[in-house]
Amino acid sequence: MAVNLMINGKATEVDADPQTPLLWVLRDHLGMTGTKFGCGIAQCGACTVHIDGVATRSCQFPLEAAEGVKITTIEGLSADSSHPLQKLWVEFNVPQCGYCQTGMLMAAAALLDEIPNPTDADIDQYVSNICRCGTYTRVRAAIHKAADMMKA
Amino acid sequence: MKILRIIGIIIVVGIVLFVGLAFLLNQRPSSPFDEVAAITAPQYPVEEASYVARLADCVACHSLPGEAPFSGGLPMGSPLGVMYATNITPDKATGIGNYTLADFDNAVRRGVAKDGHRLYPSMPYPSYSKMTDEDIKKLYDYFMFAVEPVAKPNQETGIPFPLNMRWPLAFWNAAFAPTKVYENKPEQSAEWNRGAYLVQGAGHCGSCHTERGLAIQEVALDDSGDAYLSGALLDGWHASNLRGNQATGLGRWSEDDIVQLLKTGRNKHATVFGTMLEAFNNSTQFMTDEDLKSIAVYLKSLPPHGADPQWTYDDATKVAFAGNDMTAPGASLYITQCSNCHGRDGLGRGALQPPLAGNPTVIGHNAESIINILLNGAGRMVVDGVPDSYRMTPFRVLLRDDQIAEIATFIRSSWGNDAPAVTAAEVAKLREDTDPTSDHVIILNMR
Ligand code: FES
Ligand code: FES
Repeated sequence: MAVNLMINGKATEVDADPQTPLLWVLRDHLGMTGTKFGCGIAQCGACTVHIDGVATRSCQFPLEAAEGVKITTIEGLSADSSHPLQKLWVEFNVPQCGYCQTGMLMAAAALLDEIPNPTDADIDQYVSNICRCGTYTRVRAAIHKAADMMKA
Repeated sequence: MKILRIIGIIIVVGIVLFVGLAFLLNQRPSSPFDEVAAITAPQYPVEEASYVARLADCVACHSLPGEAPFSGGLPMGSPLGVMYATNITPDKATGIGNYTLADFDNAVRRGVAKDGHRLYPSMPYPSYSKMTDEDIKKLYDYFMFAVEPVAKPNQETGIPFPLNMRWPLAFWNAAFAPTKVYENKPEQSAEWNRGAYLVQGAGHCGSCHTERGLAIQEVALDDSGDAYLSGALLDGWHASNLRGNQATGLGRWSEDDIVQLLKTGRNKHATVFGTMLEAFNNSTQFMTDEDLKSIAVYLKSLPPHGADPQWTYDDATKVAFAGNDMTAPGASLYITQCSNCHGRDGLGRGALQPPLAGNPTVIGHNAESIINILLNGAGRMVVDGVPDSYRMTPFRVLLRDDQIAEIATFIRSSWGNDAPAVTAAEVAKLREDTDPTSDHVIILNMR
């Protein structure tokens, strides 16, 4: 079935079973491999994208629900890696192996949109992504710094 | 001396009467097929024959995962002790290979085995008694000629003497098990009658969805009783209310919604779970569209049972989330653990992620199913041989009893839902009951 999607501001048509999880559509049908597969059951956050601005785990988001919503993936977070979080991720050396980090960034970006000055508790609440390398403290520090920068 | 003689006579007469009665009660009933000559070749196309076995969902109980279909072995709990589903493959020594059509009929519709012993009513013969002669013949065809014989001896029940004597079941049968084939109601449409026939008969929906009385009998076997299909507790699940109740039954469902659930396992209101998941995997998805439509027509004709509160969506919860208001107990856990699939608006995502807002299972008075799903997740739905990619994960290891209770309470009281709170003690109990290593783990009662 052909479905019309709006991904990173671009209208895109996909022909796939409407039950296909959005993550599979992104990676396998559209070749957008920035979004990662971790668990497939909405537990780890590696597949996080924004759906109408809300951080959403795409492995459990069916294609049939993706029509008519605005989808943003890591490829669309900024045109040239200039999102403050992306810059701070480099500055703080946040990633270790990097596998979870695209999801982590998407969750963090959605959080700052919603809560410009998040507390530690807010971060734990909304960035519940799992990092096998344990980069949590650097993630947290980078988010706080980004909040300060974006305020200024 | 005289008194002793009298007592002696009384005892002897008593024994004779008892033995005589037991003998009589072990007699095989009569079947319309008593005079039918031995059947040596299939009488129906195999698709027609196997379809009836799908309708009756024989495989669900008479098989064990990983073992030959219909070779029996599934344990079922009862207040008396554990019993095991039997081998119903056509093996002559251990299965039903020696059964004539009449023997088979007596077992399926009257609960009496070939040797005269009474079956326990975990076999839903009170429902199957409504099946037509034709459907019984097809079913016999299927088991005799389409099923592979498997030599596997039946397992003894774990029910101790004297409770394991079967003849008293004859009294149970006289009181609770009808023996009449379904009769069409002329004032109803053909579709309605077909639906009633399927639901009350082969489908034996009431085995789970109707509450049971003191003698474990279903309190109603058809729509003449207003508790029929109004939901019941079993095996750590609450089988849903299938009557017209607006909030907790099928009142807000269209006929098409019902068809969709039975055909695909999901619709915009709910998803199959628990033992219904197995009924879906093994039975309902194979039913024809016409039969599913008839079932829907029949179910939609059942009026609400008891009080009928209404449900309407309330977006207060959504608004609170939008303002990062996490004051409601469980709200914060909901955001991290649940909202990824079920959404902050509680509406799920189309048919593939079930809504929690207005979901009859979530707002039902009894929270057993919700606690069970939160602890143990949902089973694997298999459609056309393809396992499903959307499946509730178990939280038994991730969350404590009090956290699960908080989440359950939160979803039962948000988005317009208005159901009683869940306590950590309730969660602890079900956690224990569904722990395979506990010494009182629930084993399946009835399906
Ligand atoms: S892959 Fe989607 S949450 Fe893990
Ligand atoms: S950086 Fe390796 S998993 Fe997060």
